[in-house]
Amino acid sequence: MDRADAEARRRAALAIRQKLLPLLKEIEKGNPPKLVIPKRTFSNTNFDKEKGFLVMGEETLERHLLDAGEARRFMQTILMASIIYQALVENEYPTIRDLYYRGKHTITYMDLAGKVKEENTWDEQDESDAVLRDIEVMTDLLREEMLILSKEKGKMVGDMRIRSGPDVIDLSKLGHGAYAIESTPDLIEFLDVNAEFVLVVEKDAVFQQLHRIGFWKQYKCLLMTGAGQPDRATRRLVRRLNEELGLPVYVITDSDPYGWNIFSVFKVGSITLSYESERLATPKARFLGVSMTDIFGDKGKKPYLTAEERKNFIIKAKDADVKRAKDLQQYPWFQTKKWQREIELFLEKKAKLEIEALVGKGLKFLAHKYIPEKIQGGDWIE
Amino acid sequence: MSNAESYRGMNVSEFFAKHKEVAGFANPTRAIYQTIRELVENSLDAIDGSEEGRKTIKPHIKVVVEKVEASGRGNEEKTWCKVTVEDNGIGVPYTVMPNAFAKVLFSSKYVLKQARGMYGIGVKAAVLYAQSTTDSGIDVVSSTALLEDVYSRKLRIDTLNNEPIINAYGSWKKPTAWRGTRVSLVIECDWARARSKVLEYMARTALIAPYVQITFQTPEKELYIFPQKTSTIPPPPKEANPHPHGIDVETLKQMLAATKAKTFREFLERDFQSVGKKSSLYFIRELKKKVKEIKEDTPPAEVYQKFNGLLSTIVDMMKTFKFKPPQSNYLSPLGEELIVTSLKSMYKPEWAAAIRRPPRSYQGHPFIVELGMAYGGEIQPSEEPLLLRFANKIPLLYEVGEDVSYKIMKEIDWRQYKVEFPAPLVILVHVVSTKIPYKGVGKESISEVPEVEQEIRNGMLELGRRLREYISSKEREEEVKTKILAVSKYLPEIARSLVVLSKEPHSWKPPKPGEEKEVLLGLIKLVSSHVKLPEKESSEEVIRKILGVKKSGQG
Ligand SMILES: Nc1ncnc2c1ncn2[C@@H]1O[C@H](COP(=O)(O)OP(=O)(O)OP(=O)(O)O)[C@@H](O)[C@H]1O
Ligand SMILES: [Mg+2]
Repeated sequence: MDRADAEARRRAALAIRQKLLPLLKEIEKGNPPKLVIPKRTFSNTNFDKEKGFLVMGEETLERHLLDAGEARRFMQTILMASIIYQALVENEYPTIRDLYYRGKHTITYMDLAGKVKEENTWDEQDESDAVLRDIEVMTDLLREEMLILSKEKGKMVGDMRIRSGPDVIDLSKLGHGAYAIESTPDLIEFLDVNAEFVLVVEKDAVFQQLHRIGFWKQYKCLLMTGAGQPDRATRRLVRRLNEELGLPVYVITDSDPYGWNIFSVFKVGSITLSYESERLATPKARFLGVSMTDIFGDKGKKPYLTAEERKNFIIKAKDADVKRAKDLQQYPWFQTKKWQREIELFLEKKAKLEIEALVGKGLKFLAHKYIPEKIQGGDWIE
Repeated sequence: MSNAESYRGMNVSEFFAKHKEVAGFANPTRAIYQTIRELVENSLDAIDGSEEGRKTIKPHIKVVVEKVEASGRGNEEKTWCKVTVEDNGIGVPYTVMPNAFAKVLFSSKYVLKQARGMYGIGVKAAVLYAQSTTDSGIDVVSSTALLEDVYSRKLRIDTLNNEPIINAYGSWKKPTAWRGTRVSLVIECDWARARSKVLEYMARTALIAPYVQITFQTPEKELYIFPQKTSTIPPPPKEANPHPHGIDVETLKQMLAATKAKTFREFLERDFQSVGKKSSLYFIRELKKKVKEIKEDTPPAEVYQKFNGLLSTIVDMMKTFKFKPPQSNYLSPLGEELIVTSLKSMYKPEWAAAIRRPPRSYQGHPFIVELGMAYGGEIQPSEEPLLLRFANKIPLLYEVGEDVSYKIMKEIDWRQYKVEFPAPLVILVHVVSTKIPYKGVGKESISEVPEVEQEIRNGMLELGRRLREYISSKEREEEVKTKILAVSKYLPEIARSLVVLSKEPHSWKPPKPGEEKEVLLGLIKLVSSHVKLPEKESSEEVIRKILGVKKSGQG
């Protein structure tokens, strides 16, 4: 096993023990045991202007064994911690599904009437996933750091070599395929890279089209996609590329509140999982498009679409989109002139546009005009 | 044919022979119940009758009902029963035997004393019923503590003259120190119908007289034994003088005629209760304002003769004058303790309580109301409380709807006391008095005398409050237990997980089954010391039960 792996295991196991072993002492002393867990609520989520991403606040909650309403969750938390711990020391790589199955068993007891009763430690994976999140915030370790695997969805190509486990992978020699970003991106070692920026596209289909047209070769970039809502590994890798290699990151999404939100997850983190942002957010990420002003133009800016094209490609916004836009309008990290203009335009026009619409205008238009021109012209939103 | 009305007098025995329902002998079903009841109640009175006797003799009543061949023409269809009741009470002197058992309105209980008997009718009504249905009389065998012989008599009632007829005499030397009375009668009966009522009567009698052992043999030769439940016997009731508030003109006349007192003032002090030196003086002073001639030293006979027309004025004054209230120390209630003991042994409830209300009086008669309540356990839940009514230690089984206690019980909103029907609730009401305000001669229900009603209501409400307290504390206990359960069921899982975490990474070995034992015991201790049950049961016991963990070793 390689050293990075072993080191990660040692660190995670230690952190888990440090957090939970004191319970044994308390029990010995006869003190009611409790777990102190940082609150994963919206109200305990702050935007750190300096850092540029969402951070968890100071609020914590206590989970008491002796509280009838909390006892089950208390048990589940400790159970989950023990499973993760055991997997770490036994050199395993459980998925969250594995954790669910390993911890799921039936406890038998006698009710007050003397009847034998059965109850599962947890029933749905939702329950085990939730306690996993509790353990992440309690131990200040992300699941990747505890060597827990998640479904892989992110992809990447580019002129770059990395070491993953014992192997060296050349990300420029994958044919029409791409490198599937592994669940534990922290174990990747960057060997050498020949690229000037990172381009993240929301949609897998567009990623493939840009890949086939040789975009990354021609424009010296690392091409990535999160295929919709990006998973954690993709976000972590984007962050590392930005932070460790100093590569600027551009994101292209649909032109609608949903797309903005995906960008926002890359940039500042997810609102409900703010504890991850510290390691997953890329505060310097730039929103390249598609922007409202690309569609409609603005003072001193010519639109990329003709009136005719707009008529064909634009989709009418739904009420839910409008509502979401109004929410986004309030968030601190959207309080820039350009973002406010963007959202205002949207609310005014009530129009959405998919990236595919630009491809409809011609893949070459997207690859050789739209993207390079916008990057060169500095036409992005921070 | 003349249309003229014909007039004649009727004597009292003829009256009861003709109007059997008045004394509770309306039909063969009621009759067997009523016969047993009259005899058993006389026996109970005889047992309560002497204090010394009861200290050495364990009170015992034996009741035997047998089917006998109906004899005589036309009687083939009918069922006859022989009822025999024996007690070891004070006995009846042979001289009074004929009158006591065969002369209507002859009684030893025409005194102010708490007794079951009161009219001097009971056993004679049964004899009249026997005479008219089976043409037979009554057999009595009895002896008192002082007599050396046992005496037997076969008696009948001469209904035309209301006089006893003695059909046979007998007497023999007592081989042992036996005292008591055995009485048998043969009557027409419907045993099959009466059976359940009679059994209920027996059970309830045993409940209210727990110091007496009662055995009962049915015609099917089943033997029911209601053992003596306590040897603490409440002191027997004592005879009392009348209270001036309870007096009427007729009684006053009789008392004036019979008194041994020399002066009117002495008469008041001697022959009445609650009249002292001061109150007699004040009373006469007050009386003089209306009846000038009366003086403290007027002889009672003179009052009787001279002031005949003014007696009602004296009675009115007696009724309104503020004497001390009637004395209740003549009364013999059962006592809270005995009521609880009885309820517990009869119904096996999870909770029982009793209360004795302070003595009070109505119309010059002192009375005490005592109540009991039992809840849960083996009591069968029902749509309304099971009401057990007693008066002077006899159970009242019929006419429940008429009874003041039933009325009060129905008026109470039991939900206020955390009782939701159907509920397992038994309420016992016992009224003792020198005169029970019955609604009728059958002695089956008590009337709505305001004073009595108030005491019954207050007592019932007070017990209701205690019941609510009990139910609440039980609910609290349930709450705690539920909490213990909610927490405890997870302890083994927590213990196992903690043991996993306690293993060092470098010397990692998965824990062996059972290795969590110590942590688990620690957790059990911890939970039981922090989540405490309000009463006796220990939390730790409850947790061990939930988890199936034995005290000593392997769980
Ligand atoms: N078993 C008995 N032992 C002793 N005395 C008895 C017994 N049975 C009856 N007597 C005497 O006979 C009397 C008459 O009894 P009876 O039942 O006719 O009337 P009572 O009990 O006085 O009044 P009630 O009509 O209310 O029953 C009693 O007062 C009592 O003195
Ligand atoms: Mg009687």
